[in-house]
Amino acid sequence: MRAEVGAKMPTALATKKAILDDAGYAYSFDREIYFSRKDKKAFSVEFIEDHAPEVLEKSIQEPSNTGGWRFYFNTPPAESVRLELESVLSGQPVG
Amino acid sequence: MASRSVEDLLREEYFDLLPAITRVTEHLATEIRYHTLPIANSLGRHERLVVSSRIKECGSALEALRRRQEGKTFDQQWSTAYSLTSLRDLAGVRVLGFPQARLKEVDGLLRKQFPAWESDPVRDEDDNILAHKYSGYCSAASARIRAEYQVVSMLTGLFWEVEHSAIYKPSPNLKGIARDLGMQQRSGEVLRALRAFEEEFEGFVLRGEVAE
Repeated sequence: MRAEVGAKMPTALATKKAILDDAGYAYSFDREIYFSRKDKKAFSVEFIEDHAPEVLEKSIQEPSNTGGWRFYFNTPPAESVRLELESVLSGQPVG
Repeated sequence: MASRSVEDLLREEYFDLLPAITRVTEHLATEIRYHTLPIANSLGRHERLVVSSRIKECGSALEALRRRQEGKTFDQQWSTAYSLTSLRDLAGVRVLGFPQARLKEVDGLLRKQFPAWESDPVRDEDDNILAHKYSGYCSAASARIRAEYQVVSMLTGLFWEVEHSAIYKPSPNLKGIARDLGMQQRSGEVLRALRAFEEEFEGFVLRGEVAE
């Protein structure tokens, strides 16, 4: 089968990218996470790849009532990892 | 004294493993060159077969292991839980070929020579196979180092090599850019264009429009 060059990309990737862009999420290429300092939420690339766009949208919209950072990972980060990521995401410039 | 970081422990492990990684790389590359020699000797003028090998460098190995963690962060509380031997490509061999018929021939031949090796093809977003990838052990060279070989179309493999040497090798920390969703789309477009180019060219060859 011949590949169609220049074909449109109506794919899940494009949809998820648009959802994250519209919600104002930035990408940290050093940690491979999408994050919003305003919402204090961070999504790992693995989580985004493994979940449907609807799940991503719902997760972005759900209220964050803890006051701290909320991590959407396939496997919840260990305490030391969470602390390091919070420190990186909160203030210092990220990659 | 402060306990040593995960990175320090891994650097030490790397140089402990390096002689074995070198042995495995040379062993695997030699075996693959030997097995593919009959094909290499029968190539037409327009056909290509290139076998190359590489030893993963220390910085790349650490970075690869870090990138396997979700959030790309080592848990410093469990510094001894990490080992570079969990990487599958410390020793790597890549076979680049053109056209597709030759790639299939090489892949089938090597599959028979390495029947116990685990298949883990690289796929694009549409589930098309971009590269045949296998990993396993060369027990004659080392029982600790898992090696990998890939069978890839010439243009795709060369694109990956250019991308790697121009961008990621000088700055391994930029590797994460490739997983940005927008970058994945752009890479997909390049790979689709390269595949279409190869198919167009191969079409000329199959129709006999390229003189031997």
